[in-house]
Amino acid sequence: MAQFNVEGAQNVEVSKKLPCEKSLDEQLSIMERYTEAHRSHAGLSKELRETVCLKVLYPTLFRTIGTQDLIAGRIDFLPIGFGSVTSEGGVGHYCIFKKLRVFQAKLDEDGQKRVEALYNYWLQNDTKTLYNKDVLTDDTIGMFIDCEYPMIATARLSGMMLDYPKLLDKGIGGLRAEIQEKLNAQPDNAFYQAGLECLDIFVNCATSLQEDALRQIPNSNPQRCKELEKIYQGLEKIKTDKPETFHEAMQLMWLYALLAGVINYGRLDDFLGAYLVADLESERLTEEEAYRYIHSLWTMIESRRTTVNGRVIVGGKGRKHPKEADAFLHYAMKVAKNTRYVEPQFTLRFDKNTSEEIWDEALDALGAGATYPTLYNDDVNVPAVAYGMRVDEKTAEQYVPFGCTEFVIQGQSTGTPNICINLLKLLTIYMNQGIDPMDGKYKAGPVKIKPLDRYQSFEDFYAGYKSLLDYYLDLAVKAQYYSYELMNRKVGFMFNSLLTDDCITRGKALLDGGVRYLGGTNETYGNINTSDSLVAIKDLVFNQKKYTLPQLHKAVLANFEGYETLRKDCLDCDKYGNDLDTADFMANDLYEFVAKGTRDRGIAIGMQYFLIVISNNQLNTEWGNRTAASPDGRLSGMYMNPANNPQGGANKSGPTAMLNSLARFDAKYHGGSVQNIKFSPAMFNENRAVIKSLFKTYFAKGGCHLMVTVVDKGILEDAVQHPEKYPDLIVRVSGFSAVFVDLSPNIQEELLSRVLYE
Amino acid sequence: MEIERFAIHDGPGIRTMVFLQGCPLRCTWCSNPESQEIRTHLLYLSNHCVGCGRCYQACPNGAISFDGHPVFDRKKCLFCAACAEACPHHAIKMAGKFVAISDILNVVQRDKDYYDNSGGGVTFSGGEAFVQFDGLMELLSGCKKAGIHTAIETCGQVAPDKIKQAFPLVDLFLFDIKHTDKDILKKTTGADLDLVLDNLRFIAANNPEKVIIRVPVIPGFNNDLQEIENIFNLALRLNVKRVDLLPYHVLGKTKYEQLGRNYSFPYDSMLPKEALIPLKEMGEKMGLEVYL
Repeated sequence: MAQFNVEGAQNVEVSKKLPCEKSLDEQLSIMERYTEAHRSHAGLSKELRETVCLKVLYPTLFRTIGTQDLIAGRIDFLPIGFGSVTSEGGVGHYCIFKKLRVFQAKLDEDGQKRVEALYNYWLQNDTKTLYNKDVLTDDTIGMFIDCEYPMIATARLSGMMLDYPKLLDKGIGGLRAEIQEKLNAQPDNAFYQAGLECLDIFVNCATSLQEDALRQIPNSNPQRCKELEKIYQGLEKIKTDKPETFHEAMQLMWLYALLAGVINYGRLDDFLGAYLVADLESERLTEEEAYRYIHSLWTMIESRRTTVNGRVIVGGKGRKHPKEADAFLHYAMKVAKNTRYVEPQFTLRFDKNTSEEIWDEALDALGAGATYPTLYNDDVNVPAVAYGMRVDEKTAEQYVPFGCTEFVIQGQSTGTPNICINLLKLLTIYMNQGIDPMDGKYKAGPVKIKPLDRYQSFEDFYAGYKSLLDYYLDLAVKAQYYSYELMNRKVGFMFNSLLTDDCITRGKALLDGGVRYLGGTNETYGNINTSDSLVAIKDLVFNQKKYTLPQLHKAVLANFEGYETLRKDCLDCDKYGNDLDTADFMANDLYEFVAKGTRDRGIAIGMQYFLIVISNNQLNTEWGNRTAASPDGRLSGMYMNPANNPQGGANKSGPTAMLNSLARFDAKYHGGSVQNIKFSPAMFNENRAVIKSLFKTYFAKGGCHLMVTVVDKGILEDAVQHPEKYPDLIVRVSGFSAVFVDLSPNIQEELLSRVLYE
Repeated sequence: MEIERFAIHDGPGIRTMVFLQGCPLRCTWCSNPESQEIRTHLLYLSNHCVGCGRCYQACPNGAISFDGHPVFDRKKCLFCAACAEACPHHAIKMAGKFVAISDILNVVQRDKDYYDNSGGGVTFSGGEAFVQFDGLMELLSGCKKAGIHTAIETCGQVAPDKIKQAFPLVDLFLFDIKHTDKDILKKTTGADLDLVLDNLRFIAANNPEKVIIRVPVIPGFNNDLQEIENIFNLALRLNVKRVDLLPYHVLGKTKYEQLGRNYSFPYDSMLPKEALIPLKEMGEKMGLEVYL
């Protein structure tokens, strides 16, 4: 078994959570009761053991209803408990040891001893730790997020998008009837038994929140009293009946998502739009109230602080109620434009039939600096998903991006990225005969790597690298698949399962054979640094023969110190992002090798799909910090390229060239890929027609996604200090445009001095 | 020759600019001094230089001496680029390269879809694009063959038969009119007003829709209501509907330093766009479309 630190950070946490409302004593008591419930019910089925444990947590962990909230439901998480994902509590029956230690330090001696006992119990029972014990190795697979390893693996159930349309159509009562009927036919089925208990938990939570609403009424002003009464009545209704109003529908969806530990919300426009329109038409809701409701929902999503999730998706193909959905979409656009939240990650799916009005709203929000909506092209993604996930196009129309961009089919598939792989670190290891130059450790497993002077051709060199990749892709698929096996042994993810096809039909939890499409994703990092490095090797060593491979390697190992001219030659080689066939073909070749290799292995192991995602969070920086210098000219410890965008500073040929490079990859081999582009507000907002046609052309050429940043003057000031970070920041000067950092300092100063009209 | 993609201010839509070297004029405020002659230039970017001395060691012609930073003897320089290659910090650049027509056309065609969707195309500029006439004609034909909209930015100091030959291949002329006084124009830019106007008249007479008159508004030269009114009147007489006013800027000043030349034009600060609003309003009252 590999050595690993159970107290390591398990996920990216940029947005800090609100502190728990409960006292330390209460928190400790809840965790002890939870632990006891878990310990004493080891003999039960995993499904029923789960519901016993959930009853300890809920409704206890609900926070009081926020004074601005128009629907009820906010939850705290403790270091021990139950969840689906690492950003809200933990995975399955979990203990976050690091947070438990922090908690422990706040207690007196007696309390600390009690915590110690919990700590020791969970060392043997925390789902993720059990996984880590079985899967992590000393030299190849590290834990999330240990940047010393070329690959990291975890057990989690990220990105579930539940079948909310079904929930709303049936209501809790309808769902209960469906499960009861199944249970009558199979009275011993633990999944159905536990399913009904989950619905009881839901009802108990609704009742508890009702009591909270009642408690708040005496101290509230008349307006708030009305809202609290509405919350009370709404909760009463959704305990049994299906929702009839926008308020009830939103309340039902929200409370269920909280209990499921789900942090992405699916196609809200389509399943809430009809309720919204009916309320507006019957004048149950004014336009202003509709806006306030959606704004309130945004605030509640933001308050969960998941950092990289909180997806709300609007627009696109395959909506059941497109007209009503668009009504929701228009309000949501306004809310997205006016709020400056990092969550929800407001996502617009569109196709060539999307109206100019929606385009203009989207560009307005982006131009206002909202960074949302993030844009997904259905004309490319739907057929790509159909191929990649091996489903028909109608099913593919229900794809939804979650987290950093990974796709799942709403209500029908799992897609959790439980593997991340650093292609660049592997290249540096490969060039150094298996030893990571960063720490001197051997990390190539059984792969035989030749000394560098023995490669006769670029193809020979590249093939050797691919065999190391093959080895790691084998490890990846096994580790992903095993995460499902292990989680399935321990938990049923019951709330998730009840709203995922075909769990109820089959009477099985989702990882037990219940989910219709068992998919997964593998996050790849350093893609472009790697392909640009390969271009540099091919050009400088094998084409120009300016350096030998050992010479190049020696310079890289020295972090180019004393080899500055060689580094400049590396930097001057063709780079991805400039619409150059050389660099773009190499990037695509590497992409297809890794993407197809991953997909083929997923099919072979028995998954519906296992696809790479080229996503984007700060891991490209953190992992870059622990990745040695590379032949693309990147220095040791420097950030790596974000997603499948060029390395910062490498794209020097303007936005059309960059977009042409981005559009090169065939989307059908990946399960989501992030594309970034950044404009100054003046450029973006004063040339709207040009920007619109720029985007539309890119999408028509096969672009699958675009994330648009419109930056303000503060960024320009930063660009003065750190020009290397802003190679493509275009500014309007006067009568012409220029790349800001190419302007001489006095002109930059002049631009900064101008009044900023917003 | 230089290429700039996603140019959006020299002609309609998304465009690619192709800058060809060589110019018959010598405007004292010229912001592209490296494009005046058809040859390679050495640009020294002092803000990138760390004073490592590698350039001085690399020069085979003794054209660089070293005094904490390189000092160039540009008369001795043979533009072999050894110094630029040796510099690890991109502080020395060679500007002006010879590129095959087919290579230019290849780059230009890569953004064809963007041109088509935005109403854009290619703009040939300079220097003065007509100086390299044979190459220009090949480029224009290549673009037309590929179905690409073409524009030319010209100072008008061009032999009339060249304009006539190019005319069918050009969709839009961005035609510089800097002054309507023959002597002032000659003295400050070297241009021959009669020739310039002959060319403008020819284009306008054949198709006034194909012309936008562009006026660099230069302090101390033409930045006054009377002179701009003269230019507007000229446009009206020729049925040219649109005039663009381009405010004077000093962005080329850095290039003079990089070329080791002095920037002799006495005005040191940009002309703010707002200063041109009265001129714009005057033109609009006269019935023209005026853009800043």
